[in-house]
Amino acid sequence: MAEGDKDTQSQKMKHRPIVRIGIFLISHSFFVSVVCFTAGIVALLLLPVLAKNTYVSENALMPGSANPMLSSQDVAEADRLVKDMLGLKEKSGEVGKKTPNLIARNMADLGAEVYHHKFHPQINYFHPLDFFSGSSKSGKIPENSSCAVCGINTVGIIRAPRGDGKEAIVLVTPYNPMEIELSEALSVALAYSIISLLTRVTWLAKDIVWLAADSRYGEYVSVAAWLRDYHTPAFGDLGKLDAGMCPEINTLHEQNANAATDRRVNTDFSRAGTMAAALVFKVVNEHEETEKDALTIFAEASNGQMPNLDLINIVNYLAVHRQGLRVKVEKIYALLNSVWLKAVGDILHFIDKVARSINPQWKFAIPLEDYIEGAATLASSMYHQALGLPTGSHGAFRDYQVDAVTLKISSRVSLLNKSARYEFLLRIGRLIEGVIRSINNLLEKFHQSFFLYFLTSPSKFVSVGVYTIAFVLLVVPLPIVAAALYSGDNGWDSDSTNKTNPASKNGLSTTIESWRWLHAAKVVFIVHLWGAIVSLLPYLISRLHGMTPTTSMLSWVSLSICTLLILYQISGSPYLCSGMPQSQHRQWAIMKAVMIAAAAIGLGIMSIINFATAQIGALMVVPMCLMAHPLKYVHRLGRLRALSLMACNLFFGFVGFPPAALLVTRVWSEGCNGVNLGDFWIWLESLWAWNSATYLYLFLVHLPCWVLSLHILFHPC
Amino acid sequence: MEVTMPSRKWAREEGTEKRRGGDLQRVGQKVKAGNGGEGRGRRSAGVGRGEGIRAEAQRGRRITVLQMGQKKWFWVWVTASLFFRLLVIYFPQNLNLGSRPEVATPITSLRRLAEGYWLKQSFMSPYAGSMYHGSPLLLSVLGPLTVKRIEGQPSHLICSLLFLLADFVTAMLILAIGQKLQLAYRQSLKALKVSTSEILSAGDIAALIYLWNPLTIVTCVGYSTSPIENLMIILTLYGACSRLAPLAAFGWVISMHLSLYPAILIIPVILLVGYGPDAPPRKLFLKRNFGTDGNDPSNLSCYQGNEVATENMLPIRPFLWKPVLHFIFWAIIWSVYVLVLCSISLKQYGGLWEMFKRTHGFILTVEDLSPNIGVLWYFFAEVFNFFRGFFLIVFHVNILFMILPLAVRLNHRPCFLAFAYILISSMLKSYPSVGDSALYLGLLGLFINELADMQFSFFLFCGYVGVSLLSPVMHNLWIWRGTGNANFYFATGIAYACLQIILVVESIGAMLNHDRVLRKKSTACP
Repeated sequence: MAEGDKDTQSQKMKHRPIVRIGIFLISHSFFVSVVCFTAGIVALLLLPVLAKNTYVSENALMPGSANPMLSSQDVAEADRLVKDMLGLKEKSGEVGKKTPNLIARNMADLGAEVYHHKFHPQINYFHPLDFFSGSSKSGKIPENSSCAVCGINTVGIIRAPRGDGKEAIVLVTPYNPMEIELSEALSVALAYSIISLLTRVTWLAKDIVWLAADSRYGEYVSVAAWLRDYHTPAFGDLGKLDAGMCPEINTLHEQNANAATDRRVNTDFSRAGTMAAALVFKVVNEHEETEKDALTIFAEASNGQMPNLDLINIVNYLAVHRQGLRVKVEKIYALLNSVWLKAVGDILHFIDKVARSINPQWKFAIPLEDYIEGAATLASSMYHQALGLPTGSHGAFRDYQVDAVTLKISSRVSLLNKSARYEFLLRIGRLIEGVIRSINNLLEKFHQSFFLYFLTSPSKFVSVGVYTIAFVLLVVPLPIVAAALYSGDNGWDSDSTNKTNPASKNGLSTTIESWRWLHAAKVVFIVHLWGAIVSLLPYLISRLHGMTPTTSMLSWVSLSICTLLILYQISGSPYLCSGMPQSQHRQWAIMKAVMIAAAAIGLGIMSIINFATAQIGALMVVPMCLMAHPLKYVHRLGRLRALSLMACNLFFGFVGFPPAALLVTRVWSEGCNGVNLGDFWIWLESLWAWNSATYLYLFLVHLPCWVLSLHILFHPC
Repeated sequence: MEVTMPSRKWAREEGTEKRRGGDLQRVGQKVKAGNGGEGRGRRSAGVGRGEGIRAEAQRGRRITVLQMGQKKWFWVWVTASLFFRLLVIYFPQNLNLGSRPEVATPITSLRRLAEGYWLKQSFMSPYAGSMYHGSPLLLSVLGPLTVKRIEGQPSHLICSLLFLLADFVTAMLILAIGQKLQLAYRQSLKALKVSTSEILSAGDIAALIYLWNPLTIVTCVGYSTSPIENLMIILTLYGACSRLAPLAAFGWVISMHLSLYPAILIIPVILLVGYGPDAPPRKLFLKRNFGTDGNDPSNLSCYQGNEVATENMLPIRPFLWKPVLHFIFWAIIWSVYVLVLCSISLKQYGGLWEMFKRTHGFILTVEDLSPNIGVLWYFFAEVFNFFRGFFLIVFHVNILFMILPLAVRLNHRPCFLAFAYILISSMLKSYPSVGDSALYLGLLGLFINELADMQFSFFLFCGYVGVSLLSPVMHNLWIWRGTGNANFYFATGIAYACLQIILVVESIGAMLNHDRVLRKKSTACP
């Protein structure tokens, strides 16, 4: 920030080169920011092209180096279990209890340590501070929860013959015991067949934990509850777990009937070492008519965290090269037919052609279909990371630094056919066996490969070093423009450059020139404080009963506006004009500088917490902040510039408001009908229920920036 | 003795000045200063010195009215800050500040102190197990408070209230120091015949900065003993400013005993006691006295009052050895006293040697390598063991290297020198916390008039905001999520250190620049 250039003497002095570069950048801030912003968007569009092929980075993994051992006999056993489970459903009675017992009995038959884990579904409270308080998800159980509402996880542990019991691999099969379906039974049976193999193998070095998760209250809840209890050490009677809170209410005849098995089923919680990795797999019954079975990988955990890329790599490698499956990751299908994406792809092709005509060695374009597919996948990857909600129960593991993925497997043929089912089970079982064998070879936790990446296809990724460029290019204009505005050389108006220096003439300055940003900083601080208060208001509103989403939303908006007005009452008007009539810098420019600096800090910090949020937010916040210009002074610019500037300002002023942005996207994607005000409330409720940092970003960075830009639009001086 | 008479009087009058207040007396004093006698300004003010004094008096009255309103707001804000602290003290569980490495270091953590107290209660050495590294005196004072619980209240409530009180007292002492500095500043400006439009009341601003600084608040409610350490350092400065040798010596000895680094404050304290509070360079006064020595009437015109009565002699303040010796004497007494108390307290547990090894030795040898906002932990985690001794010396000598040049350059501004020392030591100390930066940022407010033209103030502000938000995020990324690593957190430590370097360079630069401007104006005036 070259504020020292006021002195006429120092102007004559030769600046050091780095200072001169800084002054050059600042004096051409408009040009620099336009170039940087455009380059940022271009870099973002180029990301699918810049994606690299994945590779298994950790040598110890050695995927596919051993032949699978899963035999058709194991599969036959599994099929028997499927029949038993489905048969249990047809019989009337307490299916919710009997199915876990059936699974437990079968586990125990295999020689595993078995226990039931009872848990209460947790009510998600509003706690936005959880992100910073370390290990979040403080297990608070509502006092009035009756024992009737609790789920039963069945857990089996195989102790490794060659291990020391300090590490474990977790397999999770979610199923709903109340209404069990063929697909869910199949995923349980799949785990059963793998476990039955693993009890016999000699190479096992890590304990295997099989968690048959009761998903009647949702898949995530059961896994999260089990993990919480797993990682909460119990000392004596003090730390009684969820399981201990419910007295055993088994009826007598049930105890008699299952006496033989119950002796093998423990009641207390047993553990097996730290988790090296976890696999959640579920079979779904949505068979598409393709020539291969399909495997979809879900990896996004809370706040955009991803499992180590090596885990995805080995799954992908074994699925494609050993078992011949078709591996997918999620993509936004709407983008596949998008016209402008095709246009971008065409332009890239054209540039590629031109480049190759100059030098045949240059080759960077990828086929158009690949580009569109990659862009759609990247967009989905980015969207899910930015939202900050986990895409499956693997998200619960990431909170404990365990790498986990969810594998959703769908068959190409109907699973009602017995031989097809056998074949399917064998193939998927061998895949999972191979993955387990690979992880079993692991010497430490996964650390070799990337944690920060976007997937553009199952075998292609964009690493942190590449995608950061796009973000940095987007954000770099902010400090430059802030410095330019602050030093009063903002390239927008000419009259601010011929400045006079009343203050520095009489030496001991009358106005404290160096501290003139204090008033603007006060306004910015108050608006950000308001943002923090607004983000906490739902805590109060959600406590009130009988509120529909629409009324909640309305009360929230009105409370927010009241708070803002009260804050202004206390602190005085945000506009200070009369203070310095001769001040060389206009107040709005300094206010804009401080606002931009605050936005830059906010975006920078958010990019570390959740990169995707910051990336998407920067696309919105950066132009909104840079464009903000008082409408009163717009006419001083040329007519065309004034009009375009005004249009941009109004556009960003509308779209920058989060509910308006959501409304626009809703209308765009679903049409006008069925859009109402409560949608925003529901959407935000999901964000804070999952402790998403995106919520904090919206209200601590985005909303204050929007309010401040509006302030600047209507700034009187 | 006779030669030093005017300045002695001048120094003594500072005490009486405060009681009367207002600008009116100041003129009178200056006039009276040459006349000998006791120099009670009020009586001599009306001896008919002409128009200037009357105008001055009127202005003084106007300012007093203005100040009354400001004073009211000042106290409102002070009370509000205290209430805000009380509010935050009531919700400590949600914030869990006591476990944050930025707030509580191994030296200042109250949880460690409670552990040490527990060890002592069970007849073990409080230093057993490398948990506690603080002073045994603090243990005796704060220890009983840590175990006292009030039903239904958050734990350590009494300690938190004590820290709140410490913060308040610190702010009041800063206010008093600011008033003294402001008085000295005004007098020296008048003596140099430099006119200024307005002098901000630095003491109020500094006290409010200290009270409302988020870092201070975080330290106050974060179960760290830093507020006590800060109080002792400020007490030293206050005692030295008002030339209360016993008080200054007490503060200095205790603060050195608590955290060792304030030991270097002995130089500014001696300068303060010897010369009095901050003033422009002495050379300037000499120049005015002897350069414009003759009866040239033109040099009087630029100053409104009739300065002839002052015998053309401006107050040159020589170094007074007597208060310095007084201070040293008291420092020896207090240190002997503290050592005796410590040895009594640690009689069964290894005595004084054990205490020095576990407190000051622990600070000097950087034994605890758990992350903090400083830069030493990372370095000593990396360094080979056989180089450790060498680099320990290098890092600690870094602080000592800066002492002498700064003392030579800034010897006319001892308070500012103390600020610079505190800033440098908080940058290079082995277990820094945000409590240290809270202290020097508060002190920075004292020099608001002199540092008005400081460069990069906005950049520094943004930097402090950014780093203080980034630090917990990086820590979270490293410790809880596992996607970051130690380098991430250390990077914020480096950024923080860089900010402090810029702050120290810019503030000292601005201060020297201010002196230069003063010289230019005082020589240009006649």
